[in-house]
Amino acid sequence: MTVSAPTPRVPKRHRVRNVSALAVICGAVVFLLVQGISGSLNFYETVGEALQHRGELKTTTFRLEGVVEPGTIVATDKGARFTLVEGKHRIAVVNVGTPPQLFQGNIPVVVSGHFTTAPGNHFLSNQILVKHSSSYVADHPNRVTAKDGTVR
Amino acid sequence: MKRHGLTITGAISAVTLVLTAILGIAITPPDVTQKEYARFLYLHPPMAWVAYLAFGVAALSSILYLWPRTRRPFFDYLALASVESGVLFTGLVLATGSMWAEPVWGTYWVWDARLTATALMFVMFLGYLAIRRMGGTAEQIARRGAIVALISSINVPIVHFSVLWWNTLHQGPSVLTPGLSSQGVHGAMAWTMLLSFVAFTTLFVWMILRRIRLEQLRSGVGVGVLDAAIAARVAEGDAVEVSA
Repeated sequence: MTVSAPTPRVPKRHRVRNVSALAVICGAVVFLLVQGISGSLNFYETVGEALQHRGELKTTTFRLEGVVEPGTIVATDKGARFTLVEGKHRIAVVNVGTPPQLFQGNIPVVVSGHFTTAPGNHFLSNQILVKHSSSYVADHPNRVTAKDGTVR
Repeated sequence: MKRHGLTITGAISAVTLVLTAILGIAITPPDVTQKEYARFLYLHPPMAWVAYLAFGVAALSSILYLWPRTRRPFFDYLALASVESGVLFTGLVLATGSMWAEPVWGTYWVWDARLTATALMFVMFLGYLAIRRMGGTAEQIARRGAIVALISSINVPIVHFSVLWWNTLHQGPSVLTPGLSSQGVHGAMAWTMLLSFVAFTTLFVWMILRRIRLEQLRSGVGVGVLDAAIAARVAEGDAVEVSA
């Protein structure tokens, strides 16, 4: 024979608090679902995709992903200028603002901005995000950079 | 025997956590690109793994509770203990992720698929804990919780595979890759990360064993009796203050 525990009575004050907390959580779930479905699934366009959709994108703001071509970074008064590459495709980027501390050549980045209609047809960005790979390579004094740019 | 199991699990967890801290902070080299920030590797991925594990255990024990043939209060306690640990570790995953992201990515937060899905997972399991506090009999609470845990756990594989299914700023998996290889992490860093997985997994096991024991004691006393006793003691204290 089992003895069932008495049904707990939740005081009214606690019930109001619990219902309020649940309502806030439900609101957060709805917000995150909308946020996820509307803008999160495709976080960026790659350099190749952006060039393919160049006509449709016009001067729309979007995020662009590519690898910073080594040797193309030039510091400017307002930020930096560099080229993003993906295979044979390349886009010149002019960034306004301070780049992240790990920003350097030969790493993938995501820049936020739009194409310009000015001569040169470059991409004007106001934010650089460094896209780190899932590789973790130990840093030591004898490490060398190969001709293809990989670190060994 | 149970007592020994708890002690052994706690001891393994403590030793491996200390070893992970020593190796992670003082022995392993910095990463060639991320430098010292790579040390988050020994915190963030193992905690994410434990969160997945916790919600997986919660889903499985919820199924076992809902299935009439296997329905036992133990499976409800196991689900509750797992979700509580999972919520804690997901919160820590979000916090450590943001701390790492600011210097490495250049921002604390982005609304990419991985981060958004993780935040959703965190909030949905918070909802599980909130729904359990809405009152009712122990059986009603357990059944309600089991259903919410099952619905919420659908998001767990979405969180993990989001970096493979969609374009995200978050990097791909370092360990739980499609081929189950961890070749992206080199040498001592890989071994230390593996040790951190053992450390956090045993910590999780120790935490849920303790929590299940607490819930068993609580149900033995009678749900609400303990709360009523605490409320009575608080009321006594208030009465003393007023009379003074």
